[in-house]
Parts: sequence; C-alpha cells; structure tokens
Amino acid sequence: MDSLFIEFFHNTGFYLWDYRYLLMICVGLGFIYLGIAKDYEPLLLVPIGFGMLVGNIPIFKGLGLGIYETNSVLHYLYFGVTQGIYPPLIFLGIGAMTDFSTLLARPVLMLLGAAAQTGIFITFLGALALGFAPNEAASIGIIGGADGPTAIFLTAKLAPDLIGPIAVAAYSYMALVPVIQPPIMRLLTTRKERLIRMEEPREITKREKIIFPIVAFLLCCFLAPAALPLLGMLCFGNLLKEAVVTERLAQTARNSVIDTATILLGLTVGASTQGDVFLTPSSVGIFALGAVSFGIATASGVIFAKIMNLFLKSKINPLLGAAGVSAVPDSARVVQVVGQKEDPTNFLLMHAMAPNVSGVIGSAIAAGVLWSLMAKI
Amino acid sequence: MYGLEAINASNGWAISVVGVTIVFTGLVMLSIVIAQLYKVLALWENPSKIKALFKKKQPEKPREEQISNRVVFAESQKEVVKQFALLVRTMTDHFSLPRLLQLALISDLKDPYLNLNNLFKTKIIVPDGSGFFTWDKDMFDKLVS
Repeated sequence: MDSLFIEFFHNTGFYLWDYRYLLMICVGLGFIYLGIAKDYEPLLLVPIGFGMLVGNIPIFKGLGLGIYETNSVLHYLYFGVTQGIYPPLIFLGIGAMTDFSTLLARPVLMLLGAAAQTGIFITFLGALALGFAPNEAASIGIIGGADGPTAIFLTAKLAPDLIGPIAVAAYSYMALVPVIQPPIMRLLTTRKERLIRMEEPREITKREKIIFPIVAFLLCCFLAPAALPLLGMLCFGNLLKEAVVTERLAQTARNSVIDTATILLGLTVGASTQGDVFLTPSSVGIFALGAVSFGIATASGVIFAKIMNLFLKSKINPLLGAAGVSAVPDSARVVQVVGQKEDPTNFLLMHAMAPNVSGVIGSAIAAGVLWSLMAKI
Repeated sequence: MYGLEAINASNGWAISVVGVTIVFTGLVMLSIVIAQLYKVLALWENPSKIKALFKKKQPEKPREEQISNRVVFAESQKEVVKQFALLVRTMTDHFSLPRLLQLALISDLKDPYLNLNNLFKTKIIVPDGSGFFTWDKDMFDKLVS
C-alpha cells in the first residue's frame, strides 16, 4: 500500500514540479490579474492566462494529458491553432463587427495602416540579424502588426514550434498598447500637431458599405493571394454585416463564432507555454524583438502621417498614425486618449478607426506576402 | 550566422523591400478605388449623367469659320467693306477707330455704324492692345474678296 502511495506521489505535480512551471504559472496569474483587475484585453488575457495555468501543471508524460501529446484532448483543440483554423474564424467575427465608414469617408488614411506595417519588415531584418532562420524571423516580425490572429496564423504556417512565445508576445503587446504607444506618440509629435482637428467625414451610403468588402477582397487577394484565408473571412464577415439581409449570420459570426474561436485559441495558446518548452533563450529574443517591432510600427505610422502632412491641404493629426497598428480598437482608443489630453474637445476616435481597420487589412496582406515569399525559400 | 551577413545570406533586404512595396501597393490601390467608388455610384444612380458623359461633343469649329458663319456679307455690304479698306489704306497701319468712322461718314458710306460693327465681329478690324486698331488683310481677303 505504501508503494502505491509513493507511486501516486511520484505522479503528482508536487513531485514533478520545476521552477520553470512555477514561473509560467506566475506569468499566467499576471495575465489573469491584468485582464480582470486592469481590464487590459480581458477577452484575450483571461483565456491565455488560464491556459498557462492549464499548460504548466507538471504531469508525467504518456498519460495523454499534455498539449504536445498526440492523444490528448488539448492536443486536438490545439489542432485549430497549428493548422491555422481559429484565426480565420476570428477574422470572420472581426469583419462582422467592423464598420469601415470612416475609412470609406477618407481613404487616404489607409496609407497610415500601410506605413505601420513597416515595423514588421524592419523586425524581420532584426530577427535575421540575431540569428533566427528566415521563417522564424518572418513569424517574429509579424508581431509588429499587433494582430494576434494574424501572428498565430503565419507562425502556424512558417514556424509552428514558436507559436507559444509568438502568440503570448503578440497578445501581451496588444494588451499593453495603452502603455507602449503613448510615450512614442508624444516623443514624435509636437503639441501643435497633437491639437490638429480632423475634418468631419462625409456620409457613407449603404451601397458603398456593401460594395467595399467585395472590392477590397478581390483587389487585395489578387495582389497577395496568400492573404486569402484571413482577408477572405474578414471581408465575408463584413459583407454579412452590411448586407442586412444576412443579419442572423452576422450576429452568429460576431458573437458565437468569434467567442468560441477566441476561447479555444486563447486557452490552447496559453496551454502551449509549458515551462520546459517555452522558457528558452529564443523566447526571450522573441519578446524583445516583439517590443521593438511594436515600437517601430507605432513610430512608422506617426512619422508617415507627418510626411503626408507636407503634401496635404487638409492636415491630419499625426497621432492617427499610431492607430495604423491593427490592435482594434485599442490603438484607436489610445489615439483618442492622447489627443484629448491636449484638447479635451478634440474627438479623434472615429478618425483613428480608419487607419486602425486598414492596419488589419495591411497586416493580413503582410502575412500573406511573407508566407508566399518564405514558401519559396 | 549573425548580423548583416545573416541578412544578406537570407536575401533579407530584398524580401523586406518587396514586402513593404506590396503592402503599400495593395492599400494604395484600394484607397484609390474606394475614393472613386462614390463617384461611380453617383453616376449609377443617375443614368442621365452617364449619357451626358458619353454624349458626343460637336467638334469646335475654327474661330474664323464660326465668324464667317455668323456674319455673312451681302454683295452690297461687301462693296461698302471694300470702301472701308480703301479708307484704311489712307491711314497708318495702327489707326484710330473714331477717325475711320469720321472718314466713313464724310465719304457717305452706307450704314457706317452697322458695317463697322460687322468688321469688328468678323475680326477684319482687330484691336492692337494700345488703343488703336489694325486691318487684317487675310481675313478681309477670305470673307470679302
């Protein structure tokens, strides 16, 4: 009987524990705290944080419990991540939630979404310089797009071994948008620039809204076909929303589908951060490069807005450039907050949504481009 | 391999430039298209504008031709105009209009005011920009001779 107890004890987490698991459990608790107490991206951080707890319970191998064991339930759920199934479903929901009106009213703001994607490619170079393989460097670079689903999708295709650290880095930085972006925005703009008021956007007709997702899909996917899974679902979701006659489907996409996909994605990505697999020097490098990528993306958007102002008659507030990263709608909210600190009567949120949603399109195109270019290497 | 060597070995510079270019191209193309979208829809909703857009414009006739169509000298008028030409010959190249009118009245030309007006309309008499006028011989030959 004693031997049974001892054998059972040997299978418990108390016996199998390792400081790495404990460290990751602390990180998971930190995520849950940030999500619940600080309200930083709770819909993402709480599932990921709890997933970290799930993934870092020390278990003995062979029982089919761990996410990396082929016969485990978690492994089956993780299949949606490794095969890139969840990100397009999330994009479907995002499309069904997004209103492109401000973008349609002032299409020139779309360029800010493109400029912010520069961070992706600069970080790609940085990752190459640090010794990462090209496919890994591309996956790290995409963190700068500040788009969790896109980062996971591309990493699943190019460097599946890095999904855990890249997903955690991407979502962490997305959650930390209100902390990371404001200092960069203030550093690169003068008070006078931050006070610029935007023109009232023109009214958009329903017909324009319906045609936009179709045109955007055809145009972007003809140019970068590898962006098809993400952009296709994004535009389809938006068409469901705008068509009105498909409101029931749009409701499902923006509620049940995106919620289910987010829960499964968050939980399994969190669970994939097993201490023994996750805590490696490359993970540290990914976190550092992710922060750099995010910073460069923000700075690129702001600087490009300033350059545009040299040529535009009706000036744009350069703070909008920071919304070019596709953390929807957090970076747009940050623009509003920073702008209102200078002038409480200046409402930039509506205008910031234009580069913000174009950032989503831009990062999906960038992911498609990197995927197709890496596939040839 | 690290640093610039690693970037060069992986063709990193080219990939980055191509990537940025494609992202910009995609979004620039999209912004151009959607910037024109509402104009196209406005035309679609108002088909008469489309017709107006494709309606063939009458080719603009040369000015001289228009003038000649508008002012046609009768034979009797042509004689008077020829007399005006003779009067102008007695004057300097850049002549005064009141003086010409005075000479026409003295010479008792028929309908001097009307014919002088026709000479203006047909651009046979042209202002030189300094308060005087010149006689366009080519136009005179074309319309009267």
